Amino acid sequence: MRCEEIHPHLADHLAGTLLPDVAEQVAEHLRTCRACAAEIEGLDETWQLLGTIPPHEADSPAMRARFDAALDGFRSGFTNTAKTGRPGLLTYSWLGLAAAAVLVAGVALGRQTAPTPEVDPQLTMLRDELREMRQMVTLSLLQQQSASERLRGVSFTSQIDQPDSEVTVALLETLMHDPNVNVRLATIDALKRLSTRDVVRRGVIDALPRQTSPLVQIALIDFIVEKSGREAAETLRRFSMDEMLDQAVRARAVQGLQQIG
Amino acid sequence: MTDEALMTAVRDGDLAKLGLLFERHHAGLFDFLSWMTGDRTAAEDLVQDIFVRILKYRSTYRDGGSFETWLYRIARNARADYFRTRQPLEPLAAEAFERPEPGANPMRLLEADRDRLRLKRAMLQLREDKRELLVLTRFRGMSHEQIAGLLGIEIGAVKVRIHRAVKELRDIFLCLSDGNPSCDVKRSTRTLQII
Repeated sequence: MRCEEIHPHLADHLAGTLLPDVAEQVAEHLRTCRACAAEIEGLDETWQLLGTIPPHEADSPAMRARFDAALDGFRSGFTNTAKTGRPGLLTYSWLGLAAAAVLVAGVALGRQTAPTPEVDPQLTMLRDELREMRQMVTLSLLQQQSASERLRGVSFTSQIDQPDSEVTVALLETLMHDPNVNVRLATIDALKRLSTRDVVRRGVIDALPRQTSPLVQIALIDFIVEKSGREAAETLRRFSMDEMLDQAVRARAVQGLQQIG
Repeated sequence: MTDEALMTAVRDGDLAKLGLLFERHHAGLFDFLSWMTGDRTAAEDLVQDIFVRILKYRSTYRDGGSFETWLYRIARNARADYFRTRQPLEPLAAEAFERPEPGANPMRLLEADRDRLRLKRAMLQLREDKRELLVLTRFRGMSHEQIAGLLGIEIGAVKVRIHRAVKELRDIFLCLSDGNPSCDVKRSTRTLQII
């Protein structure tokens, strides 16, 4: 075997998948060719060192919670959750206009329709459409570059009667990843009215260790003490003992532990 | 139950089985995407995105096809879409590469740790297609045949590229070992941060 014939086999050599007879030919060549032997030695060393690099550690519980929420949302028929619970900007950019159109149509319909004691099916349908539009607008606002627009999106959720799981996931996403502290604080308030949902309580507990702002950490502790109780005891205990944390946060965690008994 | 059997069940409407596939593959995907984006948050988001895409496009899964190959094809597309909507990262200042891994005590870094850290830096300076190959073969343990199927190229081409990628990685590693903060060896268009 000559030097140039060695190269096609080096990937198999590294992976340990060389056929025995080829391995023998390669070894034979290396015994007589210093250049190839030196090259393979270097590659082997690099390959071995690569194998000692540990994998990036995933935050599996938080990722699983988000996956479960997305799956629930999908099952509920909201198949356009799309990117990570954060729909693309363009996807919903038309929805503000559409919501306005529905509102105008609603007012026109209201004027034409005489009030009756029974519930008008058309009005019910319109109300459902309006609710859906509000949800879409909320999702759209939460995607905006501007923090004040995202704040509007968060506060818009208060106008939605029983937000669906897609909105819930979007709020949890915002809590996890929004770079703006004010947006995250507003999100905590918005999530309070959804705290009867397991996925929200779990999501908020998961979000706590990921926050770096003491303000947000304290607001989250307030939330979970009030809404989650014993569910959050372990997280609070860890927080109360973490010396890297802000002193006020630790003190609030200690107080929270006492409150939940 | 094999991945393929689970995915077939998901395709046929048993969506709960996707939970098992998530458990088996989310950590590997997260590692792959962390290497390819240099951003933990983006990697997490992309993992979610991938599983949502699986739900949406489950009917396109074909019997007999390797689930893992199909999964990583979706992952590559999701990652490509991610960078299509974002500006490439600005190259980091040299000092940024001198930071030890989070939580590590610089005083206690042993030689092996320093080499590992240097090799990580070298990986992140490697061109993306080469880094991807090395992550798939060395970290994800994919066979050359699987990688060929995933990338749509011949097995021979995969082997040659792996050889070149390891060689180039070593060159960057040695260059960094000489004290250079970064090495301009056909460098990546995006310089990523160690995470």
